[in-house]
Amino acid sequence: MSTEIAGGTALVPPAALDTEGGGRRLRRFAPFLPAAFILIGLFFVPLAIMFVFSLWDTNENLDVVPRWSLDNYINFFSNTTYVRSLGKTMIMGAAVTVACLVTAFAVAYFLARYVSRRWARLALLFIIVPFWTSYLLRVYSWQAILGEKGALNQLLMGLGLISEPSRLFVYNDMGTFIVLVYVYVPFAALVLYASLERFDFTQLTAAQDLGASPARAFRHVLLPQIRPGLITACIFVFIPILGEFLTPSMVGGASGLLIANLVANFFKNALIPEGAAVGFLIAAFVLVLLIIFRKYLRVEDVYTRG
Amino acid sequence: MPVSRYARPTRWVLRLWFWALLVFLYVPIVFMIAFSFDESATPGLPIQGPTLHWYDVMLHNRQLLRAVGNTVTVAAIVAILATIIGTMAAFVLVRGGLRRPNATRIAFTLPIMIPGVLIGVSLLIFFARATDLPLSLGTVIAGQLVVTVPFVVLIVASRLQGFDRSLEWAAADLGASPRQAVRHIILPLIAPAILAGALISVTLSIDEFVITWFTVGSQPTLPTYIYTKVKFGVTPEVNAVATVMLVATLLIFGIASFVLGRWRRLPGRRRAKAA
Repeated sequence: MSTEIAGGTALVPPAALDTEGGGRRLRRFAPFLPAAFILIGLFFVPLAIMFVFSLWDTNENLDVVPRWSLDNYINFFSNTTYVRSLGKTMIMGAAVTVACLVTAFAVAYFLARYVSRRWARLALLFIIVPFWTSYLLRVYSWQAILGEKGALNQLLMGLGLISEPSRLFVYNDMGTFIVLVYVYVPFAALVLYASLERFDFTQLTAAQDLGASPARAFRHVLLPQIRPGLITACIFVFIPILGEFLTPSMVGGASGLLIANLVANFFKNALIPEGAAVGFLIAAFVLVLLIIFRKYLRVEDVYTRG
Repeated sequence: MPVSRYARPTRWVLRLWFWALLVFLYVPIVFMIAFSFDESATPGLPIQGPTLHWYDVMLHNRQLLRAVGNTVTVAAIVAILATIIGTMAAFVLVRGGLRRPNATRIAFTLPIMIPGVLIGVSLLIFFARATDLPLSLGTVIAGQLVVTVPFVVLIVASRLQGFDRSLEWAAADLGASPRQAVRHIILPLIAPAILAGALISVTLSIDEFVITWFTVGSQPTLPTYIYTKVKFGVTPEVNAVATVMLVATLLIFGIASFVLGRWRRLPGRRRAKAA
């Protein structure tokens, strides 16, 4: 209300709120301290300790001893199994990201262009609800569907498409792929809908009136305008996959394990410096991605919408 | 208007695709609920029953009930602490108590974006090797605060950023003390954001598995208990637990969107946003 009255004149905060004094800065900073303690003491410091440990070594009793070397990193990169699992994680991440983006884009495009806003929001709510139910239990449920005696196999056998249970879908990479797409596609749909909702679809018609083919209009008019949304969706799907160890351990079988399973296994076997080295490699890679794409990290928008 | 002859088929394909996605998203949930009423001990088709046997088994499983208790305790403490700590920090972040607010905002997005397994193992090293703290529900709470506090900070800060400060100044001009302004003007206006942060904290905490898995001691939370159960054998009562949890989550979710929806329609908030 006061904004209209104020018009062109500058609003000046009343002096009563400006409590001047010696410890003013400190007093204003005080409410920030608990959060700073958690962020620094329980996040940055442990990560730093993990980095230091990755440069140390274990003795015969598996105690960590401060012998500085790059051996843990060298061993990681000279072990083909480890390097292959890193490569596989990247490929899995890329494949899941592409699948999520394609699926989510088609749905978001449909909702933004052909459905009234009211119904689109409702549809989006239905897409996001599974995301808020227990992650562990959804993965567990997929086990019962994709497994050898699972519902999918029974359905295919009932239809006469296959004669004996297939192990095509579970305890291998295919199982991991399906479940990861399942887990992350709601995220992608949410982000892409948010950017398509702001897009004026008459621009596509205008481009075609001016002689552009539908494909050309799509590429030169639509895509550039939703690029931020596409990038946000990509990082919100790709980065978590680098740390996925629950899904591969439940539906991936022995062959489907990803890089984060390696970290978890090292720690389970008390090989802390080795595990710390792999962990730090993932962390460093994620940090680089986050720094490159920092503009697109509106976490609060992604989580509070829908 | 040059409407391509492919426009109608495209639309139908997209509509089909949309429904296919919904089926894909709900199939595991429907199966989970159906299996919880299945008489056979190895869940599969066709479903026999219905029976409430597994709900009965669930209610008599002492360990499981204890795990539920632990989860509720942890979630309550995490939500309260995260909401208070995060809201206080958001005020400082937006109202200029910091030299580099943008860098700070990015620093708070890191715990959310960094894969949980890294937070988990680094905390495990930290607690076990650097502090000598025994793993307990306390370390679980500490671990979960690492991800929930940043959520509250970012959500409340983004609401505070769109806040019309002249409302607050008007209150001061009319004689309100800073404390009264906070209590009667600011808090009611940013309450939806605080509530959203609290609810996200509760939901994240109840469901949190990865960080908890590495920081949990001898007292399991529900997800870590279920994980060890399903890893070492078939336990159909897990489906019953899952169904109950699903209903609980949907209730929280439904109440939240109802309350937030009502709040959004309050006149004060719209004015704050229009500024």
